[in-house]
Amino acid sequence: MLKSFVPRHSARSLLRPLNAKAGCGGYGSPSTFLLVQRRGLASEAEEHDVVVIGGGPGGYVAAIKAAQEGLKTACVEKRGALGGTCLNVGCIPSKSLLNNSHIYHQILHDVKNLGDVKLNLTQMMKAKEQSVSGLTKGIEFLFKKNGVDYVKGTGTITGEHEIKVNPLEGGESKTLRAKNIIIATGSEATPFPGLEIDEKRIITSTGAIALTEVPKKMVVIGGGIIGLEMGSVWSRLGSEVTVVEYLGAIGGPGMDAEMAKTMQRILQKQGMKFKLNTKVMGGDVGSDNIKINVESAKDGKSEAIDADVVLVAIGRRPYTSGLGLENVGIEVDERGRIVIDQEYRTKIPHIRVIGDVTFGAMLAHKAEEEGIAAVEYIKKGYGHVNYGAIPSVMYTHPEAAWVGQTEQEVKATGKEYKIGSFPFSANSRAKTNLDTEGMVKFITDKETDRILGIHIIGPNAGEMIAEGVLAMEYGASSEDIGRTSHAHPTLSEAFKEAAMAAFSKPIHA
Amino acid sequence: MTEGTISSWKLKEGDTFAAGDVLMEIETDKAQMDVEAPDDGIIAKIMVKAGTKAVQVGSRIAVLAEPGDDLASLEIPPEEKKDTKSDSGASATKQQVEEKSSKKDTRSPREGGRPSVVKSSAKSTPDTARTRKAYTPSPSVAHLIREHGIAEGDVSAISATGPKGRLLKGDVLAYLGRINKTYPKELEGRIHKLGKLDLSNIKIAPPKKDAGKATKQAAEKKPIVYEEKELKLEVSFGEVLKVQNKLQAALGVHLPLSSFINKATTKANHSLPPVASASDIFDELLNLPSTTFSSRPAKFQPKITASSPPPQQSPAADADILDILTGAAPATTPAIKRTPGIAATDPNVISLTVKGAKEEERGRLFLEKVKGYLEKDPGGLVL
Repeated sequence: MLKSFVPRHSARSLLRPLNAKAGCGGYGSPSTFLLVQRRGLASEAEEHDVVVIGGGPGGYVAAIKAAQEGLKTACVEKRGALGGTCLNVGCIPSKSLLNNSHIYHQILHDVKNLGDVKLNLTQMMKAKEQSVSGLTKGIEFLFKKNGVDYVKGTGTITGEHEIKVNPLEGGESKTLRAKNIIIATGSEATPFPGLEIDEKRIITSTGAIALTEVPKKMVVIGGGIIGLEMGSVWSRLGSEVTVVEYLGAIGGPGMDAEMAKTMQRILQKQGMKFKLNTKVMGGDVGSDNIKINVESAKDGKSEAIDADVVLVAIGRRPYTSGLGLENVGIEVDERGRIVIDQEYRTKIPHIRVIGDVTFGAMLAHKAEEEGIAAVEYIKKGYGHVNYGAIPSVMYTHPEAAWVGQTEQEVKATGKEYKIGSFPFSANSRAKTNLDTEGMVKFITDKETDRILGIHIIGPNAGEMIAEGVLAMEYGASSEDIGRTSHAHPTLSEAFKEAAMAAFSKPIHA
Repeated sequence: MTEGTISSWKLKEGDTFAAGDVLMEIETDKAQMDVEAPDDGIIAKIMVKAGTKAVQVGSRIAVLAEPGDDLASLEIPPEEKKDTKSDSGASATKQQVEEKSSKKDTRSPREGGRPSVVKSSAKSTPDTARTRKAYTPSPSVAHLIREHGIAEGDVSAISATGPKGRLLKGDVLAYLGRINKTYPKELEGRIHKLGKLDLSNIKIAPPKKDAGKATKQAAEKKPIVYEEKELKLEVSFGEVLKVQNKLQAALGVHLPLSSFINKATTKANHSLPPVASASDIFDELLNLPSTTFSSRPAKFQPKITASSPPPQQSPAADADILDILTGAAPATTPAIKRTPGIAATDPNVISLTVKGAKEEERGRLFLEKVKGYLEKDPGGLVL
């Protein structure tokens, strides 16, 4: 109890090396001096086994898992709703919009000669909000069911075992005492220097899911997954979308080069414009128009692109503001990521960090895996995440999904490899669905046939990749998949045939 | 129990039996008992005749086949000696079921007496791989094993490089010599690496320079960055030499100079008044287990040199104050460094490196005391 009331400022520097050695149980004897200090502070602290800071996909999963493991757990969240960026302003609302905009777009084109289709954007946004609120409430229910204390407020680490929470509703701050702390504060959109985000005309993904009207012209800065998904939504709803990307390919550095090219071609056909190898120099925000000045990285030619709305999607950065890392001397790296070891421990071993705020890919499911592993380390002393088999999905239409290494990465190892690919245009189900764009591509080790990477562009690629992840988790060869029965007629047959193409020959191509 | 006697076989080769039938009678040093069949089957071959004594546990005594098997076409696999202990279920199957009587006593009836099947070898090998690795072979592995007719014993000998010891296609290919033998392992090494979070080359961000907390923190830290200072005091070893000579003459014992200095150091350190530093206060208040000393500051360790040459920096002098506080630096070990020139040239210099004003004060006091002990009463140090 008392250790939380040591006057930190005068004592920390001297105490730290001793604390580190004494561990968490080294405090004890009460003294008048400490009791005096105690009076000034906020309400009574209660001891938890685990306090998770952040209720996003990493944090809430960790909290539920910890409670299921019998640990007394609290989760501190300042948004007012659980689920983090992903559920509130990220993956989930964007998928609602992607789904509905896709249906709208399809009907618009299918019935071109039959009648009129009109967009009701307000209704579309309402549908999105319903999905989101349903899911966030669902997590709250899961917290109750599993006995996780949900603390609504901003958590600040004030001591190695102590988190001060400023309640959302205001009022007196509360102090939580924790044997273990899991930091899962996630990330925020990286701003573009010189363009001030107002979430109305200069927007991040957060604003992109809440526009009240379809912009005539939209410029997307950054051709990664977020930029392409949100660009797709507004492009389908009628906006003229131009994607400006500094690199020579879309999809971000994790995407297979061949797949990125294929995807770009498909999206171009859908009406999106791309300016690759192009640098954004700045923008002029006028009263009714924004001019984005760009310069070609190749020949230095500059031009200005008109836009009503500019989406800044150049990446995300760890979010640690107000977390109080400096109060306990936890370090971050140059890019703001909290420094951890393989067991997610900071230099204070009972403070662990998971998800976007630390190293690795910024993916919700990666954070979830880490949340579970971190709890298992606390409870059982062993946890595991296989970073070599974490899938990535881009929810454009068609979707793109991949797991393992890209062809360019495998090439860089200098080892020989094989490619097996199969187009959806030769797949019976895709044909009957009139949805035949894309393909499945296997990259295997030439000697052993072991799968090194799987890349899919196609309808439902995001679901299909699960089979590939499982296969890689088990060290499968392409022959293992090729000899496994896949139902007919399904899209998954394309997956099997691509595997067959890698070790022998496909039947239907 | 390690051995037993087979008193009699109740069945002969080629006989079929049903679960529960008595197969044989065995005798151990303790008892005589019937061995029942836990499953239906046929006696394919009896390897150890009735009346044989001291049959070792784990050795093959018979081969059983499944009901309906054609004994004439069965191929009895060669006996494997190894690992009867490990992996008992698997070895029972692998060795195609020898029923060792005494084995039954020590193990559960199921594993000891399980009538495994002797099928044609091509048919039975996948089973072997499964039980041996405890995994269903993947489709490609199963296919290769069958295609190349790899014997079951050989399958279990293939080194598996897959996740959690799984046998992969590449392992079988390497076994068959189709690819380099060491390659699958090398590949697994690479893939294993990719499975880890890349935490190499972390560049720690420099501490933030902005106002508020950062400057406050810097201010807090300042007092512990003490200036280092070297204190010096001349000391004469004349008295010490006298005592040394006296002792030599009276007792025939030569006490080296270092003994005197050591003693003087220890005594001087003890005589210093205890210092209540901030850390000591907190140690006490918090009841912290102190690392090396409870409430005493670091002990001084002087350096003795001939007067003129510039004093050398002792390595301990570079130690951080935190190291000294936590006892990480060797500053507390009272061992004198011998420096050439001691005693020969009189007077000598005792020196000390200190940090901060408080320590400087104590350091001076310490040096005075050492000097006092050595010059005034060196005899008292050794008697």
